[in-house]
Amino acid sequence: MEIYRIKNLSFTFPLAEREALSNIDLTIQGGQFITICGKSGCGKSTLLRQLKSILTPHGQSQGEVLFHGQSLRDVDQRTQAAEIGFVLQDPDNQIVTDKVWHELAFGLESLGYDQQTIRLRVAEMASFFGIQNWFHKPVTELSGGQKQLLNLASIMAMNPSVLILDEPTSQLDPIAAVDFLETISKINRELGTTIIMTEHRLEEVLTVSDRLIVLDQGKVIADDSPAKAGEILHTIQHPMFASMPSPMQIHAGVGSGLDCPMTVKEGRQWLNVYLEDKAAAQTKVTTQSLTTPSSSVAIQFKDVWFKHERGGPDIIKDLSFEVSEGAFYCIVGGNGTGKTTTLSLISGILQPYRGKIMIHGQKHTKWNSKHITAHQLGVLPQNPASLFVKKTVELDLYEMLSDHPLSKEEKQQKVDSVVKLTELEHLLAMHPYDLSGGEQQRAALAKVLLLEPKILLLDEPTKGLDGFFKQKLGLFLRKLHHQGVTIVMVSHDVEFCAKYGGECAMFFDGSVIASHPAEQFFAGNSFYTTAANRMARHIWRDAVTIEGVIERCQTSTSLSRV
Amino acid sequence: MRDSFSTYHPLINFVYFVAVITCNMVFMHPIFQVIALLSAGSYSILLKGGKAVRFQLLFMLPLLLLMATVNPLFNHAGVTILFYLDNGNPITLESILYGIAAACMYVTVILWFSCYNAVMTSDKFIYIFGKILPALSLIFSMVLRFVPRYAAQIKVISHAQKSIGRDVSQGNIVRRARNGMRILSIMMSWALENAIETADSMKSRGYGLPGRTSFSTYRFDRRDTIVFLIMLGLMAVIGAAAFMGQNSIRFFPSIRIQPMSMVSIMVYIAYGFLCVLPVVIRLVEDIKWKFIASKI
Repeated sequence: MEIYRIKNLSFTFPLAEREALSNIDLTIQGGQFITICGKSGCGKSTLLRQLKSILTPHGQSQGEVLFHGQSLRDVDQRTQAAEIGFVLQDPDNQIVTDKVWHELAFGLESLGYDQQTIRLRVAEMASFFGIQNWFHKPVTELSGGQKQLLNLASIMAMNPSVLILDEPTSQLDPIAAVDFLETISKINRELGTTIIMTEHRLEEVLTVSDRLIVLDQGKVIADDSPAKAGEILHTIQHPMFASMPSPMQIHAGVGSGLDCPMTVKEGRQWLNVYLEDKAAAQTKVTTQSLTTPSSSVAIQFKDVWFKHERGGPDIIKDLSFEVSEGAFYCIVGGNGTGKTTTLSLISGILQPYRGKIMIHGQKHTKWNSKHITAHQLGVLPQNPASLFVKKTVELDLYEMLSDHPLSKEEKQQKVDSVVKLTELEHLLAMHPYDLSGGEQQRAALAKVLLLEPKILLLDEPTKGLDGFFKQKLGLFLRKLHHQGVTIVMVSHDVEFCAKYGGECAMFFDGSVIASHPAEQFFAGNSFYTTAANRMARHIWRDAVTIEGVIERCQTSTSLSRV
Repeated sequence: MRDSFSTYHPLINFVYFVAVITCNMVFMHPIFQVIALLSAGSYSILLKGGKAVRFQLLFMLPLLLLMATVNPLFNHAGVTILFYLDNGNPITLESILYGIAAACMYVTVILWFSCYNAVMTSDKFIYIFGKILPALSLIFSMVLRFVPRYAAQIKVISHAQKSIGRDVSQGNIVRRARNGMRILSIMMSWALENAIETADSMKSRGYGLPGRTSFSTYRFDRRDTIVFLIMLGLMAVIGAAAFMGQNSIRFFPSIRIQPMSMVSIMVYIAYGFLCVLPVVIRLVEDIKWKFIASKI
């Protein structure tokens, strides 16, 4: 059964020159699980919003969208509200009411169901999603993952035949994201609901998708099963290929004639078959080529303890670690282990109740604006939008220097060099809120860099970024690192830390458990490590990155020929 | 432990508090005052435990004594003069008694309201007013959602600004004021920006379609009906007695109350029962529970 038929759809935003969508022609069958991916700004969200009239933005559109064989324009609002479920990106923004049970009932109230029907539907949904334990809670007490699950449940309560999700996991931590995607897959499997979602966490979602559609500049460039679509991307050398699962990238990089693996399990089997008639390359002696840290210490924690309230639990327990000057220090670890609190302690927003924190050998006690120049600390908050104050990016950057006694030329020179470094040239006239996630990140970073920090603190900088922007951010951080800036980064993104980080520390239960150079760190872990390492660790324990595994595979081939 | 009276239908809770607080303010009769004070006090202790005891001893008792002593110092009406003050003003028995009665009334009203706050949660309040104006209940619920959310966001912005040296706690007064304004301005753009997505989420779930209903988790069951009828009966008895003048007292110029009779004793019992109703419900359910538990 056809759910959607999109016929030659083109769409242009008002006053825009370029078409946001051009000649999209798709048929979506009932019960399919479809993933749509593409770089930020490729028209993913715009396409999804064409599938529900009330969310369609203003603009010029040509072509037609048919829903169950009927033009979407003729389908009345009531049917659309019930039949087409739409989950948006931010978990917080979608919640309207103050209590979980009320939120679950919101859609059903709008549709005008009676008390008894709502009671039953709400009960059904709460049981299906495992919400019964927090059914009566106020929504403020929920975690991000629970909030997004609530949004999903409140839409599923209306019993839609198609569920559309616009990057639903981009604001969640990895564990909550995997849980959420599991639930989506369960809905598809057990209820047969059609799923259309955009996502940049492809590693998890591709294994359950039936079909992958890749968009680029408003056009469909690949539309096939995930494995085949991946091959298409590889053959046309598309940058989106960098977001495909690691096993797939390794497979393409090595170029064997075997089937394309999607998961770590398939990847392991693939590697075994691949190496059957070859001698595996020897494990290289790990050359400690890392820039030997200079002797001086940038940040030093000595037996630091911290709690939020007098009677409250300790958030940071007996924490001692050192970050040497010029290091790229990554802190990884689960949710709520105190990683972000540690950053706040470094920046001085919070004070420990026991222990010492030294920045450049000086004890920093009470925070004031002088310390920013004294210690030259720059902090990039988790939500970069909370830094922007002006109408355009350019004004915002100049605003940072408004207190400095500099001449106009000097200011301009400073701003220009930062703009060049962060590649913001074409965005200067835009409103900061109109930028995409990755662009906002860079604009905020530019603001922080105008303070000329010696130490840069980053809190989850890769949250909500797609593979392409992540790579850009990574290269950019590397550039700063080479200029001698000490970087301390808190992140959930294991792949990112493995690729760009210098030293990694595992945070658990309010303290650093282990801290090693990145490669050694991930080679030593068997669970908390990159997908490439999990796939190849039974042969090469120290192969951490995709490039590393590909290189070793290729050297194995040459060995067998000898 | 959860209070059993709170588990009744919100309408019962609401009507009960309206009734007892009104009675308490209208009937100055000493026996009525004593009954109300004791029941309000014991119910608040049942609801909040040790915190209520401390509150009553530390704040309510001094307030009661203060008001009772201050009144005769300024009010010199009444015919039974006990003695004269140094400045020649008389202290009368009537004004002392009136002071005690008025102080009792104030303290009891405060105690009733503290119970009201514990029993009538925002959910119940929204429900009661949602019955009258359905749109209002959604607005209440949204306000309760957004106030804590905005408060949390202000904190996030303030932390971010602090890390670039632009917080309200940094710099001289002029700068602080400027930084504060800036934080508010960021907050405004943030709120408006995010409201768009909230609006999308509401529209997408059919908000604005005609014929919206209002769901609640409450049901008016048999237990509610019984308690409601008992309450109405007691209120009718008290109302009738008030009409007959049984409940009133005249303080000035001389104290005058209806003589005690069989009828008035009946009324005292009815009022007493109304006031201790939540306590009785709680105790009965506790005993019932113990009885059931002992059988298992």
